[in-house]
Amino acid sequence: MNARWRLVLLGLACLVLMPCAVSAIRAMPDFGADIAAYGARINAIAPAERHVANMVSAINFDIRGLDTLGEEFMLLAAITGTVVLLRGSRGEAITDRAARLPGRPVLPRAEVVVLACRIAGPITALFGLYVVLHATVTPGGGFQGGVILASATLLIYLGEGYAGWRDSVRSRWLDAMEGGGALLFVLCGLAPMLVGAAFMENVLPLGTFRDLFSGGLMLVENLGVAAAVTGGFTQLFLEFMEETREPDQSDDPKGEDA
Amino acid sequence: MSAILALLLLLTAASGTAVVLIREPRRQVFAIGLNGLILTVLFTALQAPDVALSELAVGTAAVPLLFVVALSAVRTASPSQSADPGDHTKSPEDA
Repeated sequence: MNARWRLVLLGLACLVLMPCAVSAIRAMPDFGADIAAYGARINAIAPAERHVANMVSAINFDIRGLDTLGEEFMLLAAITGTVVLLRGSRGEAITDRAARLPGRPVLPRAEVVVLACRIAGPITALFGLYVVLHATVTPGGGFQGGVILASATLLIYLGEGYAGWRDSVRSRWLDAMEGGGALLFVLCGLAPMLVGAAFMENVLPLGTFRDLFSGGLMLVENLGVAAAVTGGFTQLFLEFMEETREPDQSDDPKGEDA
Repeated sequence: MSAILALLLLLTAASGTAVVLIREPRRQVFAIGLNGLILTVLFTALQAPDVALSELAVGTAAVPLLFVVALSAVRTASPSQSADPGDHTKSPEDA
C-alpha cells in the first residue's frame, strides 16, 4: 500500500468518522462542569454502605470489582507475554547470579549516588507500603503502591549495582507474587459464594469509616493487586535488564559489581 | 478555568509535541518523563490524586526506565550500527 492509497483511505475514514466525533464532542459536558450523576451517586453510596473514604478504591474493588479482575488478568497476560518474548533466546534458564556481557564497561558510581539511593530506597518502599495499606482511606491503592514498591527496588539497582540488585530480588519470588496476587483476587471473588453470597460480594465486616481497617473484602483484594503489581513490574524490569546481559558469561568474579 | 489550569494544559501540549519532534531516542525518553511529570501536576490540579499517583509511578518512572534499558540493549547488540542514531528514518521500506 503506497502513500497515495493511505491518504485516500485516511480521507474516506475522516469523511465517515469525523461527523460522529464532532457530534460526540458537542454532546460532552463543559470543562469543569458539575460532577456527573454517577459520581454523585458513588459519593452517596460508598461511605454509607461500604465505610470507605476513597471512592476510587470503592469503585475498583467493590462496585466494579469484576472489571478490576479483568484488568488484573490483562496485566498478568501482558507481563507473561513480555517475559516469554524476552526469554525467547535463552529459554527458561534463569539464574539468580548477575550475568555480565564480556567487554561491557563497568562504570564506577559516585559515593553520593550510593548514599542517596540507600537513604531514598527504604523511604520509597515505606511510602509504597503506606499507599498500599491506606487504599480505602487516602488516594492510591494496590496498583499505585505496587508500582512505587517496584521502583523502590530499582533504587537498589542504581545504588548497589546489578549484582547487588539480583542478590536482593529473586526471580522466582516475583513469579510467585505475580501469580499469587492474581489468584488471591480470584479467591476473593469465589470465597463469598461458599457462604451463599454473590460473586465478590463484600461479606467481611466493613470496619470503621476513615479507619485503616475499613472496606472489608476490599483490603484483601487490594493486597492481591499490590502483590501482583509489585511482582509483575519488578519481573518486567529484571527481564529487560537481563536482556542486556548474557546468562552464561557470569563466571567473571571481577565483574560482580557491574 | 483558572490561569494555572490553562498554563498546565499549554505545558502538556508543548511537552507532548516535544516528545514527537525530538528524534533522538535517548532524549525522547527524558521528554516522555517530563511530559509525565507535567501530566501528574495537571491531574493533581484537576483534583484527581489517584490518577496523578498512577501517572507519576508509571509515566515518569516505569516507562522511561524500560525505554532506557531497551535502548541500552539495542546498543549492546549492534555497536557498529549505532554510530548514527538519527538515520533510522531513512529505511528502504519508506521509498
